[in-house]
Amino acid sequence: MKPRGQPEDRDRSDRTLVAEIQGRDSDALALLYDRHAPRLLGVADRILGKTGEAEEVVQEVFLYAWRAASSFDPFRGSVLAWLIVATRSRALDRLRARRPATSAQPGGPDALARVAARDDVEAGSASREWEAICRAAIGGLPDDQQRALELAYFDGLTHSEIAERTRAPLGTVKTRIRLGLMKLREHLRPYWGKTNA
Amino acid sequence: MHSERHEELVSLAALGLPLEDDAAEYARLLEEGCPSCEALLPELRLAASSLAATVPPRRPPASLRDELLASLSPAKRPSAASRPSASAAWVFAAAAAVLFVMIALDDARLRRQREELRAHNSDLAAAVESSRSEIARRDLRARVLESDDVRVLFLGGKGPQPNARAKVFWSERVRRGFLVAGNLAPLPADRQYQLWVFVDGKPVDTGVFDPDPSGRALFESKELAANRTAQNFAVTIEPRGGLPQPSGPIVLAGTPSG
Repeated sequence: MKPRGQPEDRDRSDRTLVAEIQGRDSDALALLYDRHAPRLLGVADRILGKTGEAEEVVQEVFLYAWRAASSFDPFRGSVLAWLIVATRSRALDRLRARRPATSAQPGGPDALARVAARDDVEAGSASREWEAICRAAIGGLPDDQQRALELAYFDGLTHSEIAERTRAPLGTVKTRIRLGLMKLREHLRPYWGKTNA
Repeated sequence: MHSERHEELVSLAALGLPLEDDAAEYARLLEEGCPSCEALLPELRLAASSLAATVPPRRPPASLRDELLASLSPAKRPSAASRPSASAAWVFAAAAAVLFVMIALDDARLRRQREELRAHNSDLAAAVESSRSEIARRDLRARVLESDDVRVLFLGGKGPQPNARAKVFWSERVRRGFLVAGNLAPLPADRQYQLWVFVDGKPVDTGVFDPDPSGRALFESKELAANRTAQNFAVTIEPRGGLPQPSGPIVLAGTPSG
């Protein structure tokens, strides 16, 4: 195993590392971990709280990357986005397991949507530029839209649960989610492909 | 083009959460097909994921990294995977040898098949040529027999073969004829029977032929030049391939019937 942070490591892109992981290169996995584990742990912390569970999730995600590196599709987003989706999905699964059973049924389009969200690659970036753009976009949303999106994304609440939590009508919550995501899309769209998104 | 309701359904789906009461409607939307909705879904997922960029990162404890790397299967480490063992090398060598033998055997099999196909092709070509020749002979005989001016000439045995018999069917219009013979004696390998047609008292070569083992022969003559009338026919024994003028004994001779 190489020591951390050798100069040539900076030249190896995330996608190169994933390709090397497919070739069972554990050094590549270690380097990918060093780059992104803090960001992924931040997401897991946000969903699960700063607990041992969040750290377990990060460990699970990198084991998933080791076992299923071939599932990464470079045409659908960045490596970090792929890892963030895996982190959020696993963290939300643990969060739901803590709660009483909900009315969600296994299977059906909602379940398919969850599977898709787990396996697909969303945008995201470790770059400070991208983070600043995202913060600006989210900060530009009305508070109620921002709150609705955060409850859905980080707390895994359904729209009816959000309505209950925020004491807002169900239709209003759906509208807030729709408007919030559409505004984020419009704000971020010019940067897709230009940053590490 | 999608409606605000479609945008709402896709937004809820993009967050990857249960759609609850909207699940059935979203299912119908997908089933009926909405290309603009399908295009919107990944974009809204990208938009939603921007929320992850807003949380502060936290460096994991060093022990987490160590545990992760220690949990990777040693058999899948690069050092193990990148250096083939001696036994693996033998397996590769054996596999290569087997492959080489298989290729060699297959090549030999293909060569045999190719030679067999060539021979078969040659046989077929010969059969086709024989058939064509037979058809041409039958066609000639039919033309002669169906001709209005067909004549039948009887040839009797002469000299060394007094028992030989033959008929010549001849057409001046076709300028050709054919001979049907029997009781012909077998000849040495360097000899053949040659048919002559007498024009203006002179013999003209019309071809050579061989009888079958029973002494019978069916032979189509060469074409006679224009404006020349056949008066008589004779068969002689000549060197194989024939001669321009008769030199051997006459075995069949006759007189035109009409």
